[in-house]
Amino acid sequence: MRTSAILAFLFLSAICLYTTSASTDSIPVSESHSSEMVRDTKDSGEDTANKNNELKPIQVELESAFDREQSQPSEGQLTEAVSDQEDSDNDTDEDTTGDEEYEYADTELNISVIKDPIQPYNRKIYAFNDKAYYYVFKPMYTGYSKVVPEKARLSIGQFFLNIKMPIRLVNCLLQGKFKGAGTEAMRFVINTTVGIGGLFDPAKSKFHLERQDEDFGQTLAKYKLGQGYYIQWPLIGPSTIRDTVGYAGDVALNPLTLISFFIGPIEGFITKTYDDVNETSLGRGKTYESITTQAIDPYIALQDAYIQNRIKKIKE
Amino acid sequence: MKCRKVLPAIFFGIVLSISTFLIAGEQGEPGKLLMNTIDSGLIILKDLSLQGADKTQERKQKLWNEISPIFNFEEMSKRTLGQYWKKRSPEEKKEFVELFTVILKDSYIGKTDTYSGEKIVYITEKQDKNYSMVQTKFITKNNTEILIDYRLINNQGKWKIYDVIIEGVSLINNYRSQFNTILLKSSYGELIQKIKEKKFISQK
Repeated sequence: MRTSAILAFLFLSAICLYTTSASTDSIPVSESHSSEMVRDTKDSGEDTANKNNELKPIQVELESAFDREQSQPSEGQLTEAVSDQEDSDNDTDEDTTGDEEYEYADTELNISVIKDPIQPYNRKIYAFNDKAYYYVFKPMYTGYSKVVPEKARLSIGQFFLNIKMPIRLVNCLLQGKFKGAGTEAMRFVINTTVGIGGLFDPAKSKFHLERQDEDFGQTLAKYKLGQGYYIQWPLIGPSTIRDTVGYAGDVALNPLTLISFFIGPIEGFITKTYDDVNETSLGRGKTYESITTQAIDPYIALQDAYIQNRIKKIKE
Repeated sequence: MKCRKVLPAIFFGIVLSISTFLIAGEQGEPGKLLMNTIDSGLIILKDLSLQGADKTQERKQKLWNEISPIFNFEEMSKRTLGQYWKKRSPEEKKEFVELFTVILKDSYIGKTDTYSGEKIVYITEKQDKNYSMVQTKFITKNNTEILIDYRLINNQGKWKIYDVIIEGVSLINNYRSQFNTILLKSSYGELIQKIKEKKFISQK
C-alpha cells in the first residue's frame, strides 16, 4: 500500500520533470519571452498601484502591456491570465495601501501570462477529459442523481466535507489564519455533534460559521511560490505545477487517504471516487458545462476560469 | 455549580456576537437599478402563464427585453478585444458588437433555463466616480452560495453593466483570454469565422 503511494508520487514527479525539461528543450524562445512579459506586467502593476485612484490609466497601461505582448508573439504558446508574480504584488499592495479602489481595479490588471508551454499536450488531455466527462461521468452522476434524492446527496457531500476538516484547519494554520483555524475547529465540533456526524451543517445555518476553503496550493501561493506551468491532468482536470504539489499535500492530509492505508487501496479509491461523483452531481458538473459550452475556445475558457478562481481563493 | 452558570453565559455570548453580523449597506443608484432589473427578470421567470416547454421562446424573449438594456454591449466588446479593438473599422466594430451580444445572450439566457427558486441577495457596492461594483450573492435552493459581482460604468448618466464576475471569474477576462489566444495565431477574420460557427451550433 505504502509502496503504491510512493510509486504514484514518483510517477507524478517524473511527469513534472519530464514536462519541464521537454518544454525548455523545444521552445527556448518562448521561455525567454514569457519571463520578459511577466516582468512587463509586473512593472505596469506597480505603476498602477501607485496611482490607483484612477481607473482609466490602468486601461492605458494594460493596452501598452498588450502592445508589448503583441509585438513579440511567440509561437502561440503563451496565453494571457494572471501571473503569480503579479499575484504576489497584489498581496503586498493590499497590506500597504488597503485601498478599496485598487481592489476593483484588479480585474483590469488581470492581464499577463500564464505559462503554458505544453499546450499541445494539454489540449489532447483536455479533449480526452471532455469526452470522459460526457460519456462516463455525466451518465454516471445523472443515474446516481435519479436513484439518490438531492437531500441525501447534500448530506453525503456535507459528511465528506466535515471529514476533510484537517486539510482546511492545517492550511489555515500554515497561512497564519488562526481565526480561520478556530472557526474550522468549532465547525467540526458543532457539525459532528449537533449535525449528526457531519450530515448537516448547523455551524453555518445556526452559528454563521463559514467554511474556510483553504488548501495546500493556496498555502504555497501565500509563501510566494510561483504557479509554474499550467497542466491538464487526465481525469483530475486543470491544475498548475504549484497546485499539483498542493494536491499531493492535500491527499496526505485527507483522512480518506487513511482508508487506503488501513483497509485497502481499492476501498480508498472507491471512497474518493464516490465523493467526487457525489460532488459532481451537486453542481460541479453544471459549472464545467456552463464554462465550456458557451466558449469559443473551451480549453482556454477553462484554463482562464481556473486561474481566475484560484487567484480569488488565494486572496481570501 | 459554577460551570452550569458560566457555560450557558459563554454560549449565549457567542451566539449574540455572531448574530450581529452584516448590516446591509444602503443601496446606491447602480445597486438599486441592478436589483430592480434582476427583480423584474425574476418576475418573468416565476410567471405561471409563461411556464412550460411551448412558452420557452416567448419567455426567453421577454426576459431578454427586460435584462438587455442594463448591459453596455459596446463597452464589453471593447474590453474583450483589448488592443485589437482600436484597429477595427467602424463596420467591423459594429459587426463584432452584434456577434458578441449574441454570445452573451446565449450564455445568459441558457443559464436561466434551469431556474428553480434561487434567491439573489444584494450585499454591498463600491463606487468610484463613473465606475461601480455591486456585489450580490446567488443562493441556490440547497443553500450553496455563489458570489456574483457586477461592474457598472456610468455613460452619460446611465449606469450599465460592463462585466460580470462569478466566483472571481470575470466574464470579460475569460472571453478576452480566448480571443487573444486565437488572435495570436490567426487573423481577425478567422476569429469572426469561429464565432459565427459557434453561433450556428448554439442555435441548433
